[in-house]
Amino acid sequence: MPAPPTQPRARAPVQSAPRASATAGPVNLRPRLLAALGVLLAALGVVSGQLVRLAMKEQPEARVSMAEPIARIWSRPDIVDRHGRLIATDVATPSLYADPHLMLDIDEAAEKLAEVLPNFEAAELRRLFADRNRRFVWVARGLAPRQAQRVHELGLPGLAFRSELKRVYPLGTLAGHVIGSVNTDNRGISGLERMLDAAGRVEAVQGLARTSGPALRLSIDIAAQHALTQELKSAKERYRAAAAAAVILDAGTGEIAAAVSLPEVDPAHWLDTARADRLVAGVYELGSIFKVVTVAAGLELGVADLDKVYDVRQGLAIGQYTIKDPGSGPGRPLSVREIFLHSSNVGAALLAQEIGAERQRAFLARLGLTDTSRLDLIPIANPLLPRQWGAIETATIGFGHGLALAPLQFAGAFASLVNGGLMVTPTLLAGEGEAKAQTRVVSAATSERIREVLRLNVTHASGTGRRAEVEGYRVGGKTGTAEMPGRGGYQEKAVISSFVAAFPMDAPRYVSLVLLFEPQTGEGTPRIVASVNAGPATARIIERVAPILGVSPRSDAPGGGRAPAPFDAPAPAQ
Amino acid sequence: MLRALNTVLMLVTLASAVGLYVVKYDTRRLEARVQAQERALEKAENDVAVLMAERAYLARPERLEPLARALGLGPLSRHNYAAQAPAGERQP
Repeated sequence: MPAPPTQPRARAPVQSAPRASATAGPVNLRPRLLAALGVLLAALGVVSGQLVRLAMKEQPEARVSMAEPIARIWSRPDIVDRHGRLIATDVATPSLYADPHLMLDIDEAAEKLAEVLPNFEAAELRRLFADRNRRFVWVARGLAPRQAQRVHELGLPGLAFRSELKRVYPLGTLAGHVIGSVNTDNRGISGLERMLDAAGRVEAVQGLARTSGPALRLSIDIAAQHALTQELKSAKERYRAAAAAAVILDAGTGEIAAAVSLPEVDPAHWLDTARADRLVAGVYELGSIFKVVTVAAGLELGVADLDKVYDVRQGLAIGQYTIKDPGSGPGRPLSVREIFLHSSNVGAALLAQEIGAERQRAFLARLGLTDTSRLDLIPIANPLLPRQWGAIETATIGFGHGLALAPLQFAGAFASLVNGGLMVTPTLLAGEGEAKAQTRVVSAATSERIREVLRLNVTHASGTGRRAEVEGYRVGGKTGTAEMPGRGGYQEKAVISSFVAAFPMDAPRYVSLVLLFEPQTGEGTPRIVASVNAGPATARIIERVAPILGVSPRSDAPGGGRAPAPFDAPAPAQ
Repeated sequence: MLRALNTVLMLVTLASAVGLYVVKYDTRRLEARVQAQERALEKAENDVAVLMAERAYLARPERLEPLARALGLGPLSRHNYAAQAPAGERQP
């Protein structure tokens, strides 16, 4: 049978196959294992070698890694005026930084960069790049795109840009004092910008993310602000004043429509103290405009009515001082109304004396004139009160001396006196004034009497405010010419000339306060009294600003009857 | 029977691994797109801010006033107001 022999033949390869693989296995596998082991050992060797090399390598010194917060910037909400017109916003600008470690030639880089960036000296930049261990140094932040392009074109290694948010003020110096300013990290350092920080409305952001917060809407109207600035500048020039300030605020709510202090400041540059806001940052003895408060106190406390007569001819002697009126006056006893019109210091002092120190102080406190106050969150300079409130102080405060106030604080009190007697706190924020609690400071009747004498002071032939009249706007107001204190007493030639006014007088909508610091005499202004400088300046301001604020003139102006004197009428007595 | 089940399970595992891979890369692509969109939004917002600032700069009163005066315009005076007739007498 041929079949059986095939079995072993067929089996033989089956059996030989495992044998063959068993004998070939060790021969083929060993080199592979050895190769794998070799690779592993080599890798281990490289790692160990590297460790040894690193351990052996000479270390320069213990290095401190300093983390610099390179990307933190503050994003701020926009600031807009009462009609939503943009005043301040954040835009992305390139900021230049250096990595001195990557710089090839520090001297060359410093010199080339100094050529392109005009604000830098090569030596200054060289110092900046000197430490090669620093990996990050700010060079210039908030560059103009053109400058950034020129730096880029230098092609220097180790210089690079980051985009950062930067505050910009498209209106330039307009309302600069009110807006304030920010530092390079976009944090507010003065004015409303500082207030935004204090109110927690800024966000620390990375990169260019903008804050989602709503814009800050101001009560300022930029058209009125511009008009007021222009008119005040021309008044400052015309009367050759060293400085000037003016504010227009809503008589009912205290919302400031325009506020200017000259010389101006640019919010894009840091504030220098010589240009401080004279409306809030300084206190001044305001002089005769303060008689409004004295008369109001007299009326409110029932000490006098407008017809009560005081003998002002002799002057008023208190201790070693004698108060006299500068001009000759009508030479007869004057009623309170006439004291106001002629701006008699003696009359105001007599009235104040009758009111008495205690009640005077309490009345001023009720008007908020003796306390620290704030314009929103912006601090207003503290009122400077007499150390001892005696008889002489009571008399001098009656005509506005011996008590120094920030003009804005006075403007708020004046608004409270003419608006019907409700307390007004000046504010820069739209809608803020209405929300405040309205407390009564004087009766409606007193307020009406005050409006009456203020209007009379402008319409009457012997009123000091004659040249503040603007046909159709029914202006009422009071002049003030306060000698400034200097070395060895008050200076006759250096005065603060001011005019406080409200319009239209039958139902005042706006209050204005104009101050000229150290005006000089000149053509058409033979004297440096408010009736010939601050008065006419107020008329020009009201004529220009009132239509912008939506106050329209009325032809049938009541409350006087006399034709108003033109701006260039001869100067009446102060 | 068990082998078939194993095979099926193995296939399912493989399929889900592939699926996971696809989903993961899709997510990464989406994330990249979201980031790109966010950057674009940021850029657009900043461009808008720049344009708004430029518009405010061009419309600043300091610049408009001389232009308006050159056109013969001036501040509103009381002579520009016309007496208004009572509502009943107004012309249609």
